[in-house]
Amino acid sequence: MAAAAVVNGTASSSEWEGRYYHVDQILDRSGPRTDPSFLAGDEVKEFLREKCKILVIGAGGLGCEILANLALSGFKDIHVIDMDTIDISNLNRQFLFRQKDVGKSKAIVAAEFIMNRVPGVKVTPYFGKIQDKDEDYYMQFNLIICGLDSVEARRWINATLVNMVDSDNPESLKPLIDGGTEGFKGQARVILPTVTSCYECSLDMLNKPTAFPICTIANTPRLPEHCIEWASVLEWPKVHGDKKLDTDNPEHISWLYQVAAARAKEFKIEGVTYSLTQGVVKNIIPAIASTNAIIAASCCNEAFKIATSSAAYLNNYFMLIGTDGVYSYTFEHEKRDDCPVCGGQSLAITVNKEWTVERLIDMLIERQDIQVKKPSLSTPGKQIYFQAPPQLELATRPNLEKKISDLVPDGGEITVTATTLPFNLSLRVKYT
Amino acid sequence: MSTSESQDIEEATATIAPGQPDDKTRRYDRQLRIWAASGQAALEASRILVLSSSATSTSILKNLVLPGIGHFSILDSTLTTPADAGNNFFLNASQSIGKPRAQEAVPLLRELNESVQGEAVIQDVKELLSTDQGKDWLRSFSIIIAHNLNNDVLAPLSTLLWANPNGPPLISVRSAGFLAEFHIQYHEHSVSQSHSENAPSLRITRPFPALLEWARSLDLQNMDPTDHSHIPMVVILVRALDEWRKSHDGSLPKTAAEKKEFKNSILAMKIKLDEENFEEAEAQAWRVWSEPAVPSDIQALFSLPPLPTSPQHNSTFHALLQSLSAFVSDPSGPGTLPISATLPDMKSDTKNYVRLQNLYRAHAEVEKTKFKEIFAAKYPEIAKTTNPDEVDSFVKNAHHIRVLRGKQWGALDRDREAIVNSLTSQPRETATHLALSALSNLLSRNAEVTIDALNAEVLSTVGQDVDLPEELEAAVGEIARAPTADLPNTAAFLGGLVAQEAIKVITEQYVPLNGYCVVDLIDSWTGVIN
Repeated sequence: MAAAAVVNGTASSSEWEGRYYHVDQILDRSGPRTDPSFLAGDEVKEFLREKCKILVIGAGGLGCEILANLALSGFKDIHVIDMDTIDISNLNRQFLFRQKDVGKSKAIVAAEFIMNRVPGVKVTPYFGKIQDKDEDYYMQFNLIICGLDSVEARRWINATLVNMVDSDNPESLKPLIDGGTEGFKGQARVILPTVTSCYECSLDMLNKPTAFPICTIANTPRLPEHCIEWASVLEWPKVHGDKKLDTDNPEHISWLYQVAAARAKEFKIEGVTYSLTQGVVKNIIPAIASTNAIIAASCCNEAFKIATSSAAYLNNYFMLIGTDGVYSYTFEHEKRDDCPVCGGQSLAITVNKEWTVERLIDMLIERQDIQVKKPSLSTPGKQIYFQAPPQLELATRPNLEKKISDLVPDGGEITVTATTLPFNLSLRVKYT
Repeated sequence: MSTSESQDIEEATATIAPGQPDDKTRRYDRQLRIWAASGQAALEASRILVLSSSATSTSILKNLVLPGIGHFSILDSTLTTPADAGNNFFLNASQSIGKPRAQEAVPLLRELNESVQGEAVIQDVKELLSTDQGKDWLRSFSIIIAHNLNNDVLAPLSTLLWANPNGPPLISVRSAGFLAEFHIQYHEHSVSQSHSENAPSLRITRPFPALLEWARSLDLQNMDPTDHSHIPMVVILVRALDEWRKSHDGSLPKTAAEKKEFKNSILAMKIKLDEENFEEAEAQAWRVWSEPAVPSDIQALFSLPPLPTSPQHNSTFHALLQSLSAFVSDPSGPGTLPISATLPDMKSDTKNYVRLQNLYRAHAEVEKTKFKEIFAAKYPEIAKTTNPDEVDSFVKNAHHIRVLRGKQWGALDRDREAIVNSLTSQPRETATHLALSALSNLLSRNAEVTIDALNAEVLSTVGQDVDLPEELEAAVGEIARAPTADLPNTAAFLGGLVAQEAIKVITEQYVPLNGYCVVDLIDSWTGVIN
C-alpha cells in the first residue's frame, strides 16, 4: 500500500501508479484475435490517453453511461452535445443527474459530474443542436458515438459524416458508433462511412410508427388511443387556435386527458388514463437503466477496440432482446447500393404513368426506406411542387393534380428535398 | 422542501391539472410502462446481497438502485487498491485508496436514489459460511449476486443456497478481460406475466354462445351497407367458419385448396369492392387453420411432475396450474384455456367494436368465475389466502405462463456427457465457459495463469479423449492475456445484463435466463448454455 499512502497525501492528483492496472492488461499484450498492426505498450496508451479526441452525441440514457465508460477506459478528451434539459422522468436511469439538477442542461451537468468523479478527464459540453456545428467541427474527432432517441438527428449526423469522407484524406473517415434502446431491447452498431452499411441503409429496419387514420379518430374511435389522438390532433387546435401544444406542460396534458376521457365515456371506450395520454402524445419509449448500460457498454467497447486496435471490432450490428432469457444476434448489415446517402446512385422507383404528383408524394411519405414528411419535388429544369415558401407553394400547387408522366420523362430524375431530410434524395422514375 | 409545502404544491397543481401523477410516479414513469405498479412493488420489497464491490459489482448495483430496489448490502472485506480506484465509477478515485472498498462505494450508490437503503458489511464470506448465524444471514436475502468469487468459496455458497429450496437464487458472475459469463441458480421459477408478444387465441373455431349467436344473426345480404362494412373481422370469421362447417361435416379447412376456398368464401360476402373489414378477415383467416384447445407448451406444464424442492412461494402457482388443468378437462367448461378479455384493434366502428369487446369481457368474466370455483374446490386453503390479483393475473395470462427449472451452479462441469454434447452443439459458448471455469480453479489455488495451465485445467474437466473446438484456443489465449482484468466496458455490459435478469427474477415478470449466459466482447456476441 505504499502507492496509496503517497496518493492519499495529494488527493487532487489525477494520476496514480496502478490506475490502469485492468485496462493495461489488454494494452500491454496481444490476444489470439488481435490484429498484427496492434502496437502494444506505451504507444497505444499515449494515443488513447493523450491524443484521441472523441465526440458523444446525446447526454441522456445512453449518453450518461457512455461518458462514464469512456472516462474509465482512458479517453481523456471527450466532447458531448445535447440540446435537452433534465426532467424528473430521466432520474430512473440517467445516473449523472440528481433531483437538484432538474431543468439544467444535460450536457453541462454530465460533463461536470464526470470531471469531478474521474480525475484528469476533460469533458467539453455543448448545450445545443448537432446541426449548429459544421464539418470543420466534426473533422476534429477520431471517433463519434451516438446515443440518441431521434431518427432525424441520427440521419443528419450519418449523412454529414458520409459527405465528409474524402478519399484522398484517410483522416476524413470518422467511425460512427450508434446505440439505441427500447425497454428490454436494444442495438449497437459500427458504421464506417462509405465503407460499411450506414444508418440510412437500414432505415427500413425501424418499426413503422403507429399512425391512426383521421377518419377513425374523427368518426369511429375504438381504442383509448383514438380518443387521445382526437383530443390532441382535432380538439386542441379547434379550442386553442394558434396556441401550440406543449407536451412537456402538465396542464396541457391534463387538458388532453380530460377531453379524451370525456370522449371515451361518450363512446363507452375504456382505458384512457393520464399516463396513456402522455405516452401517446409524447410518443414515450419505455426505458430502463440496465438496457442502456448494456448498449452503452457495447458502444464504448467498440470505440475502445477501434481506438487501440487491441482486438477486432464489431462487424457491424449487435442486436439484443432481453424479454425472454438473454437473446442477441450479431450480424453484418449489408450496404445498400441504392442508399440515397452512401450508395452514390439515384433510387429507382416504378410509378404508374397515370399517377398524379399528389399520389407520388403520398407514396414517398408511405415508404419505410425513405421516411420523409413534407417532400418538395423538382427536376433539374423545373419546380414540380414546393412545400414552402408560401408563394412558391401556391405557384406549384396546380401541379399536384397533374400526371407525373406529363412533367418528367421516363427514366428522368426527380430531386426530393425536405426539412427532415438531411440530404437531397435523387429518384429515377420508370413508368408502367 | 418541507412536507407541508410539498403537499400544498401537490394540492395546488391537482386543482389546475387533474390526473397528474405524483413525483414518484413521474420519476419511475419510463419503467412503470414496462413492469407496472406490481413489478415496482416487488422491487421495492427486495433485499439484495452483492459479494464484492468490484467495478462489475457496483455496475450491477447501480442498475438495481436506480429502478428502486428496497435494500442492498455489499459484503466485502478488502481495502481499495489503486487499480480499484482506476476502474470503478463508484469510488472516490485516489481518495478511496486504502479505505474499505464497500464503505466507499455505498454512499456513492445510495445517492442515485434516495428511497433505497444500503449498507457495507466489512466481512469475509468464508467466515460467514463457517457459522450458523452467518449462514442464516446469507439466506435472508431475496437474491445474492457474486462477482469473481473463486470456485473454492463459490462452491460451498452455492451448495448452502441450493440445499434450501426457499433460499435466495444465486447469480454468479465471472469475467476476465473481454470474456465473461454468469449463471442463475434456482430450483424453479414460475412466471405468469411473461409479457409474450404473441396474441392469445380469439377462439374463433370454438366461439362462445353469444359470439356465435351474433355471427349467425347477421342478414348479410339485406343489412345496411354502412353496418355491413363495420362488421368486425372476428364476427366475419366466425360466420364464415360456421357456414363452412355446415357443408364440410363440421371440419376445418385443411388442404391448400380448402384454405383458398375458405378465403374466397369470405371475400364473396362483400357487397362493395372496398370493404376493408372483409379484406382484414381474409388476411386473418390463418387464425382458423390451427387453433389448439391448449397450446402445446401449456399442455406440457399440466403433466410436469412436481419437484420436491419447489420453493414454497411457488405452491400457489402450482395450485393455479393444476386448477387450470382441471378447468380445461371439466366437461361443463369450454375445453380450452380461459378466454382472454383483450381484443386487438380491427376495422369496425365504435358501436360494433365496443359490442364485441363487451362480449369478450363478459365471457372472460364468466370463465374466470368458473376457474375460481374450481380453484376454491380443489385447493380451499390456498385459495383462501391467495391475493385475488394473483389469480386474475394468472387467468389473464394463462396462454403465456412459464415454469423454468434450473440447475445448481457447477452442475454442468460435473456432468461430462452434458459438457461434451454442449461442446458440439455450442462450441464457442462452451469453450469460453470452460476457459473461465479453468481460470477460477487456477486462481483458487493461487496458481500461475498460463495458456498451458488453463488447457490442462480444461482437460481435467472434460476428459483427455475429447475433441476440443478451435474456439477454445481463442478463449484460453484471451484469458491468459488478461486473467484479472475487470475492464470498465465489460463491467458495464455485465452490470446491465445481470441487473436485468435480477429484475426479472424479483418481479416475476418477463422470462429470466435459465443456465449460463456467456459473453464475448471481441466478436460481440452472447449465448446461453442451458
